[in-house]
Amino acid sequence: MIRLALPKGRNLEVTLAAFRAAGLLRGYDGAGRSLLTVVAEAGTAGIEVLSLKDWDLPLYVEHGVADCGVVGSDVLGEVDGDLLVPLRLTAGRSRLSLIGRTRELPPAGGQVRLATKYPQTARRVVAGRPWGAEIVELSGSIELAPLLALAEVALDIVQTGRTLAENNLVEIETVAEVAACFVVNRASYQRHRRLLNDWIGRLEAAEVAA
Amino acid sequence: MRISAALPTGVAALLFESARRRRLAERRLVALLEGAGYAEAILPILDYLEPYEALLTPAGRNELYRFIDRDGEQLALRGDFTPMLARLLAPRLAALDLPLRLYYRGDVVRYEEERAGRQREFYQVGAELLGIPGEAAESEILRLFLAALAPEAEGDIQVVLGFAGALDRLLLDAALPGAADPAALAAAVARRERAPVRRACPRLLAVVETGLPERADDLGPEAAPRLASLLALRDELAARFPAARLTVDLAEFARHGLDPRLAAEAGARPYYDGVVFHAFAGAGAIPVGGGGRYDSLFRRLGAEVAAVGFSLSLERLLAGHPAATDQETSR
Repeated sequence: MIRLALPKGRNLEVTLAAFRAAGLLRGYDGAGRSLLTVVAEAGTAGIEVLSLKDWDLPLYVEHGVADCGVVGSDVLGEVDGDLLVPLRLTAGRSRLSLIGRTRELPPAGGQVRLATKYPQTARRVVAGRPWGAEIVELSGSIELAPLLALAEVALDIVQTGRTLAENNLVEIETVAEVAACFVVNRASYQRHRRLLNDWIGRLEAAEVAA
Repeated sequence: MRISAALPTGVAALLFESARRRRLAERRLVALLEGAGYAEAILPILDYLEPYEALLTPAGRNELYRFIDRDGEQLALRGDFTPMLARLLAPRLAALDLPLRLYYRGDVVRYEEERAGRQREFYQVGAELLGIPGEAAESEILRLFLAALAPEAEGDIQVVLGFAGALDRLLLDAALPGAADPAALAAAVARRERAPVRRACPRLLAVVETGLPERADDLGPEAAPRLASLLALRDELAARFPAARLTVDLAEFARHGLDPRLAAEAGARPYYDGVVFHAFAGAGAIPVGGGGRYDSLFRRLGAEVAAVGFSLSLERLLAGHPAATDQETSR
């Protein structure tokens, strides 16, 4: 039996579509309803599907509670445990971007406040800049921070840019592309290598991940 | 006045049954090591920082607890037994009879970001074998490592074997001008990232998928025969420890490069320069310890001697067992 952790939220649909295109998880319909569902799968003793929040998922995989899972690269950048990341799903990609009220980055030598849900990533971004920033960690509605002047800039996910446009905010710079990543526990990869390589091959062949 | 029982982040107090279990496991390991002819080395918890400065990677430096003593000396809490023992033995080696078989036990303290399962204080038991070159020493240390693991892990053991520098040639060939940075490519191999590896070097893809190259010759004239002898060692150990799962996976140790262009991506314990291994144990497949060959550590300390060793974290070895319920931790 192999245990797969699926993300709740925006990456779930993308993940299920990708796995189904690869001929996997076709018998799974309990998305988000049950904590733990056993799905019959050819070539396996069954897959135990675990439904987890994005931010918790890497910990479950790192500790071997789940053998593998799918989680956004934005989250991995914050809570990156010692995980294997064989694939990134092609659909549902977005960007992690610096946003603000104007298109301009802070001036060299300047000091600003930067609002974000991603403090570790923000620190790495700021470390390479000629300006400094006090990181203001928020848990949601990041775009409100520059809008209401809690911070001069924000670092957040941009998907279509519509929310930004509606709030008269602009995307100043893309920092990273964000993708849902297929992650695997280091020991599980040794134990279930044949099955996991089969899944990886099928996801690649279906051109839903690379 | 009420006194809080809270402890600093990352340390734990063991009381009653959990203390008893840890001591039992420790006594069993010590009996095993002494039975195999290893003598105990008792090392201080504090040492000067200076002897280690040149040996530390940036990551290693960050995890050390360093401070200035009242007399102005820079000191560090013990973060790793192996370099401490090596630096104490290196100046004395000429006067000692080889081979030397030593074991140690005690705490190491390393700074870790606050996260579940990441303690800052670990109780380690380990062994070092000095003065026997080649496979005989590697085989002895691995047999001891597996024998130490077996009863505590109740048979559920996965040991992954590799050797430092195995992929250097493939990584450096892939990183010709205009191609990927070899250290970044090594990190991608270690994380089994298919797309960047396929773009940079299709020959590395087999290593990512299976742990081994399609043809041993792909590794180059130095590494190819070493792979053959490692596979033979794996088979010898598998016959002796049928309950353990033993795999050779070169991608697992892709960060353990020997070429200076790859050294920036060195693993957490970057001194391994030959066989390297680690183990996962228990139902949760927790990383419990590892080891390898580290002759070059002694060379950097001015001594020539063959050296192989391993260490085990007792907390982690016992963590997979439900009986460990009365462990009082800070979190």
